[in-house]
Order: sequence, then C-alpha cells, then structure tokens
Amino acid sequence: MSEAKSREEVIESLNQVAAEMHDKMLKGEPPTMTLPVRSKTNIEFNKKLGVYKYGKKQTIRDATSLGSARQLLRALHVIDFIEEMIDTAKSSTLREMYYISEAWGLGKFGTQNESNNIAEDLEIVTRCMREDFKLRPEEDGARMIGNVTIEERNRRGDWMRINCRDDVGDSGYGLPYNVEPEKIRLIDEDIDFIMAIETGGMFDRLVENGFDESARCALIHLKGQPARSTRRMIKRMSETWKKPVMVFADCDPWSFRIFASIAYGAIKTAHISEYLATPSSTYLGITADDILAYDLPSDKLTPKDVEALKAELTDPRFATSEWQGQIQMMLDEGKKAEQQALAKYGLDFVTDTYLPEKLAEFGLSI
Amino acid sequence: MKQASISEFFEKNKHFLGYDTLQRSIITAVKEAVDNSLDACEEHRILPDISIELRKVPKKPDRVIMISQDNGPGIPSKSIEKVFGSLLFGSRFHTIRQTRGQQGIGITGVVMYSQLTTGKTTRVTSKISKEATALQMDIGLDTKKNAALVSNRERTHDFLDHEGMPVEHGLKVEAPMKAKFQRGRKSVGQYLRMTSIVNPHATIRYRAIDENQEIIEEFVTERVTDRLPRPVRSIKPHPHGIEIGAMNRLLRDSTEKRMSSFLRHTFSGVPMRAMKEVLAHADVESAAKPSEVTPEGAQRILNAFNTVRLMPPPTDCLSPIEDLLIKKGLSKAVDSAFVATVTRAPNVSLGNPFQVEVGLIFGREDIPADGAVDVLRFANRVPLMYQQGGCLLTKAIEAVAWKGYGLEQPGGKGVPKGAATILVHLASTNVQFTSEAKEAVADNEEVFNEIRLALQEVGRHLKNHRKKSAQKAKAQEKFELVNEILPAISEKASSLLGREEPDLAPVITRIMNAVFCEDEVIWDKEAKVHRCRIKIHNYTARPRAYSILAQYPETDSAHFVENDLGGRREVKGIWCWKLDTIAPGDAGYIEFAIQGLEHNDWNSTEVFFRGSGDIIGASKIDEEILEQIRTEEEIAAKKAIEENNLAIDDAMDYDTDNSGDLDAVELQNAMAGPIGEKLEQNSAEQVIAKHDVDNSGTLDREELIDATQSDTSRQTGLGEWGDE
Repeated sequence: MSEAKSREEVIESLNQVAAEMHDKMLKGEPPTMTLPVRSKTNIEFNKKLGVYKYGKKQTIRDATSLGSARQLLRALHVIDFIEEMIDTAKSSTLREMYYISEAWGLGKFGTQNESNNIAEDLEIVTRCMREDFKLRPEEDGARMIGNVTIEERNRRGDWMRINCRDDVGDSGYGLPYNVEPEKIRLIDEDIDFIMAIETGGMFDRLVENGFDESARCALIHLKGQPARSTRRMIKRMSETWKKPVMVFADCDPWSFRIFASIAYGAIKTAHISEYLATPSSTYLGITADDILAYDLPSDKLTPKDVEALKAELTDPRFATSEWQGQIQMMLDEGKKAEQQALAKYGLDFVTDTYLPEKLAEFGLSI
Repeated sequence: MKQASISEFFEKNKHFLGYDTLQRSIITAVKEAVDNSLDACEEHRILPDISIELRKVPKKPDRVIMISQDNGPGIPSKSIEKVFGSLLFGSRFHTIRQTRGQQGIGITGVVMYSQLTTGKTTRVTSKISKEATALQMDIGLDTKKNAALVSNRERTHDFLDHEGMPVEHGLKVEAPMKAKFQRGRKSVGQYLRMTSIVNPHATIRYRAIDENQEIIEEFVTERVTDRLPRPVRSIKPHPHGIEIGAMNRLLRDSTEKRMSSFLRHTFSGVPMRAMKEVLAHADVESAAKPSEVTPEGAQRILNAFNTVRLMPPPTDCLSPIEDLLIKKGLSKAVDSAFVATVTRAPNVSLGNPFQVEVGLIFGREDIPADGAVDVLRFANRVPLMYQQGGCLLTKAIEAVAWKGYGLEQPGGKGVPKGAATILVHLASTNVQFTSEAKEAVADNEEVFNEIRLALQEVGRHLKNHRKKSAQKAKAQEKFELVNEILPAISEKASSLLGREEPDLAPVITRIMNAVFCEDEVIWDKEAKVHRCRIKIHNYTARPRAYSILAQYPETDSAHFVENDLGGRREVKGIWCWKLDTIAPGDAGYIEFAIQGLEHNDWNSTEVFFRGSGDIIGASKIDEEILEQIRTEEEIAAKKAIEENNLAIDDAMDYDTDNSGDLDAVELQNAMAGPIGEKLEQNSAEQVIAKHDVDNSGTLDREELIDATQSDTSRQTGLGEWGDE
C-alpha cells in the first residue's frame, strides 16, 4: 500500500504524538492529542482521488476528563508497544495487544473496541498504516468464487497459484488479511465484472445456481460491513483488470452504508479511502423501486432504521439526486426488504430473472 | 354499657375494635399483646424482650394459636383475672398522657375474641421476681358478669425463655383464635418490623409456623439502644382542649369545695393569676361550689379561657423517639444508602401537647424505583396499618413538593415515587383519629404544618446528599486523573522521548480548576468520641477565603471536646468556622471531636460554605433557610422566657406575707405549680441555698429568675462553645 514508510519515519511520527503531550505539559497546560473529527460532518469529496477523505475539522482530546486522560495514556502505551515491535521485527494482532495491555496498569484497555480505536487514532494522526505499526486485524477477509487466478505467498514463503473457481471448494477462496502485492499477485481472469454480495445466504444461492459461470463474474461475500482487506481486494481487482463492481445487498439503510464504504470510503477509514474505495462501484439492488416493481415481501422500518435513513440524507456520500430519491422513497413507503425476499418467486428467480434484468440496466447482458 | 351485653357489644363493634376480618384480627391480637408488653416493661424500666409466635392448627382451617411472651414484670396473681377478664379494665381511659394503649381495648379483647371464635380459653403464664414459681391458668370470660372464669390454675417451674432458660419475670399468653395470617404490607411481620423501628430499645422475635410444623416466616430485630424511652408523665387537661360537655361533667363530678381550687387543680396551665382573671371575666365567685355553677356560668368560664393568658400545657409529658434512634431503627430495618431524620420541638394544639418526628430513607435496593414510596405511619409509637389515604400523616406527605428534593411526584402532588421510605411519627397526649377504628389521624392544621416542615427538612437533607454524592463521584475522578493518570502520562511521554519530566503542579491546577471539600466522620474507639475532619483543597489559581459550616448532632448529651478553630454555633445542629485564606494549591482543615454520642449515632456530616466560588462536595448555605430556622428558634426562646415570666408571676403569688421574697415554705408551695417544672428536682431549701445570691435566706424575684433560667439555658445545649 502506498509508499511504505521507513522504520525511522514511523517512529518519528509516533514520537510526534508523545511530543505534543510533553510540550503542553511543559507549558503548564493539560496534555493533548489533536486528530481529525471522525464523523460525517468532516468528510469531503476529493476530486483528484474520487473518494471521500477527512476534511480540516480537528478535535483536541485533552486530559481534563478522566476518560480522555486515560485515552492519552493508552495511546502512549500503544506507541511504546509499536516501537518495541518495530525494533524487534515482530507483529501482533489487535486482540493480542488488548491482552498485552493487561500489563500496562492504568493504561490498560477496558474493551477490545478501545484498543481498535486507539490504533485507528494513531494511524490517522501519524498518517501511517496499520501495517506500518505491525498490527494485524482480527477480522478475516471475505470469500470469493469465480474464474480468476491469483498467487498467494504461503507461510513457507512459496508462491501458490490458485484458480478461485477450480481450486476451491463450495466455500470459495478465503481472503487473507494482507492482500498487498507482497502477499497476493493478480495473475489472470476470465470474467466480465465483480459482484459483491452482502449476505452469506445469497452468496451460497448464487454459487449453487452457478451464477459465477453463467454470468461470467467473480462473486465476493462481503460478510456485512466489509473488512479492509475485502475492500482493498475489490479495488485491486477492479483497477488492475478494469472490471466494473456491482454491489448486491439488502434494501435497508445499513446496506446503503456498506455500499458507500466500498464506493466512496468509510467514515472510520476516510484517512485511507484512496487505498480502499472503488469509486466506479455500482449499487445493483435491492433498490426501493425493486420492492414495488417486484412486489417483494417487506418489513416495516424500525425507528432506528428511520433515524439511520434520515442521517444518510445529510451524509455527503449520499448527496446525489439518485440516492436522495431512493432514501426518500424508503422513508415514504416505510418499508425495507432482504435479498432473500426474492425467493418468494422460487429459488432460481434471482439468477434467472432478477439479476439478468438488473444487470441489463447497466449494460451487462448475460 | 350494660354488662350483660358485653359480648354483644364486642360483636357489634368488632370493626372498630380491630377484629373485622380474619387477616386483621391476628394483627390486632398481636398488637394488644405487644403494646401491653412494651408499656409494662417501660413502666418498670426493663429493656423489653418480646417473642411472638403464630402456629397454624392442623386440620382446622383458619385456626391460629398466638403465643406472646415478654420479660416484663409479670402480673401479681391477684391482678391476673382483672387484667385478662374484664373489658375496659385499667386507668388508661382516664389519664392524659402519651400511651400506646389509647388504641384498642386491650388484652381482654384477645381473650374475648378467642372465646367467641373458638370457644376456647386463653392460657396465661405469669412470673413475678418475688415468687419462686410461675403461675399458670386458663382464662375464659363470663360475658354476663364481665368477669374472668379461671380453670387449671397451678404453679409451674416450667416457664422458660427463648434460650430455654428459666424466666425470672415475664408474661406469656397463648390464645387460640380464628384468623388468617399472611405476608406483605398488612401482616403481623410488617407490624412487628414497624414496631421495632419506633421501639429501638426493644428486641422482638417473630416466628410463624404452618400446620406441618414448618417455619414459614422468622426474624429477630435486636435492640439498637439500651436507653429506655423517657417515662411519660400524666398531665391534667388543658382548658384550651375542653368543650362545654366535658366542662359540665368536670364541674358536676368535682369534689373541690371552691371554684378557685377547682380551676387550679383540675387543669394544667392555670396559675393563680390566671385563675383570678378567669373568675373575674366569667363573673363567677371564687368561693362558689363547682357543682353549683350554672351551665351559663360554665360557658362564661369557657369563654374566659380564650381571653385570659394561660400557661401552655407542659410538653415534657411527651416521649419522642428522638431522631438519632429513629435513624438507627430505620437503618436496622432496611438496607439503604441514605437516612435522614428530624424530631421537631414539641408544640401544642387545642391544649394538647404534640411532637412530630419524620424519617426518610433513600436508595433502597429491595423496592422498585418507579413505584410509590413506602409510607410508615405511627401514632405514639404504634404502627398505623390501615386507611393510609385518609390519614393526616399521609396528607402532609402529599402536600410537600417532592420534586424539588429529587423525588418524582407525578402532577406535583400525591405520595412521591422512588426507592424510598418515609416515616412519620406523631406523639401526643391526645391523638385525634378520624374514627373509632383508630387507623387514620384526623385533620389538624398545627400538626399538619409541623409534619410538613419536618418533611421539608429531611427533603433538603436528601437533596444535599444526592448532590454531594454526584459531586463526590466527579471529584473522585478528578483526583484519580491528577494523582494517577497525569503522572503516568508525564512519565511515559518523557521516557518515550528521552526528555525530562515536566513540573505538573501548574498542569494540575489547570485541570482541577476548582475547590474541593472532603469530609469524614470517624468513631475514635479509644477516646469514645466522634472525630470529624473537613479538608478544603484549593486547586484554583486564585487564593480563596471561606466560612465553613458543618452539620453535627446537637443533643443534650453531645458536646464538643476538641475544636481548635473555635467558631460559633450558627443554628441548631450547624456550627460555623472562619477559615484562613487558602493559597492556590493549598488546603484548609477543620477538625473537631464530639463526645457523648454512641458509636453509629453519627456517620457523616453535611458541609456548607459562605464565600464566593463553588466548592465541590459542599453546598452554598441557604441564608433564607438559616434565617427561617433562626426565627423559629427565637420564637421558641421568646416563648420560653414568656412562660418563665408567667411561672415567676405565679410563684410570686405564693408570697403570702407580701415580703417580696419567697421563704422556704412559700417556695415549697409554689413548686407545686408550673415553676416546679422549671427547677431542678431539689427541695425548696436546696434551691434557696444555691440561688440565694444576697444570702438573705429567701429568694427574691431576680434570684428566682436566675434559678429557672440557668436551668433553661442548660437544656438548650449551647454548652461551653455557646458564645465566641
């Protein structure tokens, strides 16, 4: 990913965080840590990159409350820990770091979520990647099936060639957490597009119906909100092979966010959107129109759904008239639907009728 | 009442005698037994130890045997039949004093109910300490003769206490009856728990056993104090509480020969001067025979009572539980985070002395926070379990705006909601009930106002407590932040960068930016004193100057033993110190010790301040409330002086030789009147010897004022720190 930073650069930028705190205390002021505001109010569209990145709003976390003070202390411990790993050429998972923090006394983490957040904070503040920090995520990547050939470097350091249709079982090829060129090489393909699918049930249905072959596509299971490596893999394949990405998800506010994180970048990772987002992605379905057009069984929107939809109306990533229309329509109808609702018309309906019709709208005929 | 119809009378009136339902009957029976035991023990200055056992009788539905046993004096053999065998026995209907027995018809009612519902007799075992053996007998009632029918009378060695030890003195009653017992709010268990709260000097054991001999409910509430309630004195009726009917009856039945002595001896609060004025106003001859006064004359006397200035009735005939003991009783009965109690000064309504006490428990974990608070009502130390809604005590609770004190109160009225208990106790020589059932106290504006004021005070305590807890938690966080986290940040950042650690003092001031109060009350076992420490820490960049006020238990027995800072008494229970200016980063300390309280009598203080800038952990003193309390105290003090002057006037009336001085004989006579209550309980000669400043052998008016006032000021508890 990007230009890999040198050990010295990484340590220098981490020490900068500690220096900010120390300088403040020297001046007789509470120590602080300055970082970009991580909310939808502070993401801006970067025309050059075609993705959303953090804007200029900054938040100062200062040690005037117990909670923030603890955060600062934890950040210092994490910095110390990362520098030690860099020195000794080790790496660890976020979860391992969470357990290692048991020994940090006052700086220990309360929950794993806290340690994840601090790692992210440091990435953002130092403009380094998690990989620079030698920290690995716990989350495993998604599954993929389709006629593409890759090489993965295995534990022995050998390159292993895998065709993701012929060399895998029904569960497909499992993406590793690191999908950078030093780990994965893209070798060959014979597909027309990449299809990202939200739910496991629908992924399995398309696999069973042989949709990857009949529609000449690579199927990727997103597993809900997709992991970094999933989004990175989609981006690499799409850019390297110049293939369009079609996102097939439920019709609810959370699925819209999944799409936005693939296409424009997620709010939490907006500092590295240009590495993770695929701006050319298309939201295939299920759309709000589909519920009506296909007369799909639907559920009522919960108050939480409505709240999420309303938040999306003011999210810059959904500012296009098309999205505004879809979201407004959902709010008006008060309905949402799952991918599986298509089974109303039989198990093959999705592959025989729905997807071909939808893909045709975007010029992909089967 | 015709004696022949005594059982008929019982049958007809059982609803107000407390025997209307099977559930209530068992509570009433237990109540009569417990009241008797407590009264007997207190009269003989014995710390009560009472056991109540209920046994369901196998194969008989709704049949229960109630067994009560106490460690009281026992009943001499010749009185047993009278006590248990005739209704309305005893003198409680004729004296005016604060007794439990104002309610109910006594233990004879239990014997009667037992006999009427089961046809069986009640077994009584009594032992008095003089005799070697206990006397046991079965008692029934001859309802025609209103007399006892005794059978199986015998002496026994087999009278044992709950530990199986022979009883030295005590009484045991075993009465079978038709009854149902249950648990919950209206149950014997609840009744006994409530009784134990207002009788902190009693140990009460309770056990209920079902027909299979299995224990279904059992508890022991141990006494929390060895101090028996003050013995209650009986007083004569006060003219302000007398109506025309009663007046006529008193006149008719009087054995006095002259109206002057009738007025002086029948009533309280009528000194010589007032007697003369009443007779003059009413135009009744002082030599007139009371029984010959006309109804018109009686009415004129009644009118005169309202124009002539009378002495108030004495209030030392009341026996309040006292707030510290209520606190202990409450804390024992329920687990909670916070207890506040208030005992108001005695007051008078319609010639009846009364006194109000309230308690508030907050933070109970055993009851839901969204339900109505638990209300515990008591009259003369007796729990009131029925008719809560129509009771004056409840109405007073409903009239307080609880929202302001942090309890929910939908619509701004009614019983508040929350995980709390509110206790109200009314002590009076004459508790007026709404009906003969004696379960709800009747409306009375003075009593209502006293309760409301007391509740507002505990409400204020609650509010301060909650504010303080919240502030304490916040302060605790800040302390953790600057004392632990900040030094850790400094150390870690410095070692990462290889730099020197910065000076954190200015950083700490910036972060805290407030003045903090920490306080604690600890019991010093060695010295047997309570030590209170208050620390005011200035974490701001400016010097701060404050007066600090702290709450302490001001009682007759408690007094300061250490208090280097001096200070002065602000109002009752609040002391005030002026602190030297505290520099930024510095702290000011107040330390004092109080002697004369029992361990656990005092656990925490409330700290207030005067001065600019908030103190976290202390509240700004509400000058309005202070002023209100001060006004009340001034009124009370004025009243006391006025009363004193009235008493002196009255006493000087005994100066029969018009010498201007009272000699020993004259003083002795005077001491039979109101002045006697104000003097130490010594002989007239001793009083003269002590207060005769000019050595004349007699007391003049000035000396007499001295004699009464030295005593009065001693009672207000100002003590040696009274004046700065």
